[in-house]
Amino acid sequence: MTDNQQVPFGSGMFQGQAKFVDYAHMNQQEVQVNTLDEPVTDTLLRDINMILYKLSYVIIPRMKETQGRKLRNWDLWGPLLLSLLLAMTLGINSNQSSDTIFGTIFIIMWGGSAVITVNAKLLGGQVSFFQSVCVLGYCVFPINIAAVLITFFQSYFGFFLRIIIVGVAFLWSTFSSLSFMSSMMNEEKKVISVYPIFLFYMFLSWFCIFI
Amino acid sequence: MLDNLNQDVSILQPSLQMTDSQVQNRIRQMKMEDPDEQTCYQKFCNLFTIEYYREYFDVTTELVIAKVVNAFNPFSGTFFDIGGGIPELYGPFWILNTLIFTIALSVNIIKYMQLQPGEHFEYQFEIVPFLAIFMYLKTLIVPMIYRVALKCVSQDRLTLLHCFTIYGYSAVVMIPISLLNSIPNPAIQWMLLVYVLFAQTSFLTSNFNQELKYLPKEKKYMIVGLVAVVQITIMILYKFYFFSSFNYQQLGLVKKRMNTHILQHILGAN
Repeated sequence: MTDNQQVPFGSGMFQGQAKFVDYAHMNQQEVQVNTLDEPVTDTLLRDINMILYKLSYVIIPRMKETQGRKLRNWDLWGPLLLSLLLAMTLGINSNQSSDTIFGTIFIIMWGGSAVITVNAKLLGGQVSFFQSVCVLGYCVFPINIAAVLITFFQSYFGFFLRIIIVGVAFLWSTFSSLSFMSSMMNEEKKVISVYPIFLFYMFLSWFCIFI
Repeated sequence: MLDNLNQDVSILQPSLQMTDSQVQNRIRQMKMEDPDEQTCYQKFCNLFTIEYYREYFDVTTELVIAKVVNAFNPFSGTFFDIGGGIPELYGPFWILNTLIFTIALSVNIIKYMQLQPGEHFEYQFEIVPFLAIFMYLKTLIVPMIYRVALKCVSQDRLTLLHCFTIYGYSAVVMIPISLLNSIPNPAIQWMLLVYVLFAQTSFLTSNFNQELKYLPKEKKYMIVGLVAVVQITIMILYKFYFFSSFNYQQLGLVKKRMNTHILQHILGAN
């Protein structure tokens, strides 16, 4: 019987599909062996489900603040995959400086997320560091889609169509992260904590247009 | 309408009350000075906590917008009256980053417009790290020069942080100008450059003037002259490094030559 529930294993919690086991009648040893015994596909699928679950929150931006709470189980696999994908797709088309592009995008993504989070903390927000980095990383997903479209279907898109696609992706990303970030800050500091996010996504979006 | 009036006045009047985080900081300072209360961590590692720096980021949206709008006006000397003249680092830091972004963007737009019909456009990245280093160094060093000069004329009311704040906000004028700089007409580019020079210098001098009103004339002119000279130097560097058209090929060539040289060296070729 499969169940969507939060199941403790090892030292962490995860969400996703889990086989329902009767923990009351099982001892600690058996619980730990359970997850080691399972097939590798199960482990991978669990993590992939978690990533997809969070991505669904990005794709449908939820403006109500209570619904953004599910993103608080942070993980860094999603941002890592998305940043690698973005850096690779933007670096593919360049002849000479693909390594520079890869490095710049990777550093800007992680460094930018860190700087924005530290900024939010300095302005007095009660935001945990890794939650914020996780959310900012996941919200790059629309820009990823735009980059993949533009890179692989280059001949179909003229300059203005590119600007429209990238513009839509940029607005989508910003709205997705808005509900999470603005729920952390006071009313009077919302705009100044959201502006760096705007700048960050705009920087990443401009790369997509010119590549 | 009277409410709006009160609100406007309260932004402009220097406030004598301390804000929340300043009160907390004060309490913490008083606790810190009591040696029995301090742990070893508190004694030495306070520098690494976020709370130590919160004092410098004590701003609200209204305050930042009011300061930015004030910075666009080169003649009013009222910058230090906004929000009680409390120095902060939020504005300078993010204005600096926006500026780096817009200058990199406009350099690439200029290059895109100069493209020949058959060529594939290569986004020029190499300029971004250099630009970032130049901007950060400039924003760190120039306010120190100002502070030293103010100290020489024994003006102690403006601390180093005030100099950082006002210098950071004075760079706001460059943001729209650098975007407009991507227009290919050289006459327009020179006019924009002159305007930026004039606007930034007069903003800085009219604000420093408020503090220097009571000094004898030679000292005032010395400060004003120093501000103008530093600004002119920086503008000339901007123009001839970032916005001149012959530099793009040069940057490209330098990188290619470096690469082949290093490769030959590694492979032991002559």
